[in-house]
Amino acid sequence: MSCAQSAVIRVDKEPLLRLRAHPLRIALVGNPNVGKSVLFGRLTGQYAIVSNYPGTTVAVTKGRALVGTEVCDLIDTPGVNALEGDLSEDELVTRRIVAGGDVDVVVQVVDARNLRRGLMLTSQLAAYGKPLVLALNMIDEARSHGIDVDSAALAARLGVPVIETVATEGRGVAALRAVLSDAVVPSIGFAPGREHATWAHTLALEFRRERPRAGRRTQEQLSRLVRQPLTGLPILAVVLYGMYLAVGVFGAQTLVGLMEKGVFRGFINPLAVVLVNRIAPWPVVRDLLVGEYGLITMGLTYAVAIVLPVVATFFFVFGFLEDSGYIPRLAIFSDRIFRAMGLNGKAVLPMVLGLGCDTMATMTTRILGTKKERLIAVLLLALGIPCSAQLATILGILGGISFAALLTLFTVVLGQMFLVGFLAARALPGERSEFILELPPIRWPHMRNVVYKTALRVRWYLAEAVPLFMIGTLLLFGLSRLGWLAAMTKGAEPLVVGVLGLPAKTAQVLIMGFLRRDYGAAGLFALAHSGQLSGAQAGVALTVMTLFVPCVANFLMMIKEQGSRAAFAILAVVTVIAIGTGAGLNLAFRVLHVTF
Amino acid sequence: MSRFDATRRLSSLAAGDRGSVVRVLRDNPARADRLGALGVTPGAPVHVLQTFPGVVFMCDHTEVAIEPAVASAILIELAR
Repeated sequence: MSCAQSAVIRVDKEPLLRLRAHPLRIALVGNPNVGKSVLFGRLTGQYAIVSNYPGTTVAVTKGRALVGTEVCDLIDTPGVNALEGDLSEDELVTRRIVAGGDVDVVVQVVDARNLRRGLMLTSQLAAYGKPLVLALNMIDEARSHGIDVDSAALAARLGVPVIETVATEGRGVAALRAVLSDAVVPSIGFAPGREHATWAHTLALEFRRERPRAGRRTQEQLSRLVRQPLTGLPILAVVLYGMYLAVGVFGAQTLVGLMEKGVFRGFINPLAVVLVNRIAPWPVVRDLLVGEYGLITMGLTYAVAIVLPVVATFFFVFGFLEDSGYIPRLAIFSDRIFRAMGLNGKAVLPMVLGLGCDTMATMTTRILGTKKERLIAVLLLALGIPCSAQLATILGILGGISFAALLTLFTVVLGQMFLVGFLAARALPGERSEFILELPPIRWPHMRNVVYKTALRVRWYLAEAVPLFMIGTLLLFGLSRLGWLAAMTKGAEPLVVGVLGLPAKTAQVLIMGFLRRDYGAAGLFALAHSGQLSGAQAGVALTVMTLFVPCVANFLMMIKEQGSRAAFAILAVVTVIAIGTGAGLNLAFRVLHVTF
Repeated sequence: MSRFDATRRLSSLAAGDRGSVVRVLRDNPARADRLGALGVTPGAPVHVLQTFPGVVFMCDHTEVAIEPAVASAILIELAR
């Protein structure tokens, strides 16, 4: 073939740029935890949060990918086990995408080890009549488990391209790109809706070869150790203690000390004072930037020096645990406890995620089976789960006072959560769903992914929290200039001083806490460090703050997930419980002469 | 007592037992749907890993954790 000819053909068949009314829309669909988000990242060059447990992607992520000569829209969807029958909220999201007219091609990502389950989904996908490509992902892990899939024969049988991939390493991604335009509707050979399971079972037997493996693998042994109570509970204690050392000691004490005393009080704040005095020596400007409620001396210091170091260390440790596959195994231990609260063990996922960020976790409640469960989980997240930023300040303040104070706080908060969950389970209408959870394989995390995920979440924290910290500081500054702060503090005095037994100044901190719990907690941190709070008072104040609704962002997410009626009801309930518990605790401390 | 080829509820099996799914009771269709979606369907090989505090078993190549009530709805034919 001569060059001229091929050039002509190229023009005819493959133009340099193809124009369509809209870009080709490709959806990545598959069972949970098969690597859709990793593949999405590989195809688009855009990072979507990746973890080693089902339900990481609960919302749709969109991106652009270059396929051959055209730019396509790529959609990453929440994992689905089925597209018919009893579906969870996030599965419905995916079904809407596949069923709607907005998708031209479906790339089904299949875990090569779990061909049977993948094919079951293929047969259901076929019913939607969308052209399909099968990506047989994690083929390396399958091979190391002694599993071989005859992908060529499978492709011939289904009539669709089947590509072997290892998304984490980028293997097979180029081949996948190349066949996207060859996608066709798979031929199943039976009327859709009938006996997917039998069909998938037969096909998997036909195209999958398993070599028996001798001996137990470390992976399986590790999995056994963490899920059996005798070894698993001590391991849990060690993990929690390790987290405390990393986040509570290294993050909240070492790093915060370094940032607050070293960088901010030693360097940035004095420098800011000098600069402000030199450039804008007017009292108003000076107070606004570097005064008691200064944007730099308060807002920025709180956000960057007190909260950021802890958030960053927490996200790192948490990312590591996420990717190891450890967290879902906690569901086995906690199932019984959650059942008493109208939930099931699966709820451990949003609860643990809430320790990172309650707003994200509120969205993750979508993985729960029933409406009632989602409502209870959202309520418990708002009530009792301190986010990493707040955990930071709790550990920073109470860790410095006494371990007993810390223990009291966690006991009271956990007790309240259990009580509220127990009552809500009985008072609210609806059902709980049964505990059925897939456990992801135990893996050694990819450090690159953990670091990347941490960086992404820290950036997200900065974008989310710093503006609110600034607004909060500005608000306090304004209120204090107008003299309203003094009036509000005075007005709240009966409640704050009388009922809760706290210094009057704490009222300001509690007002700040309405904006963001961690901002309020950072204020408490500052109060405690300047010696204005006794140990018992710090305990009461932190308990009240922990039981508050986390932050404005979380409240908005509650409205989005549960509607404004439920969200305001939760806000009211939570506020009453928070203040009531604080009052009770104050009384108990006085009667029992607890001082810490 | 011979346990060969007996059809038993998954909830009555001990850790280490192997077999395959005969069927999943459909008294609770939502439960059967969800199990089916995880691959717990007739013919699937099953290996019981743990029975307390919850039942954990390997179904084909998926590790599944369930509460005892669910395990009693899964009928297993024990391997020899």
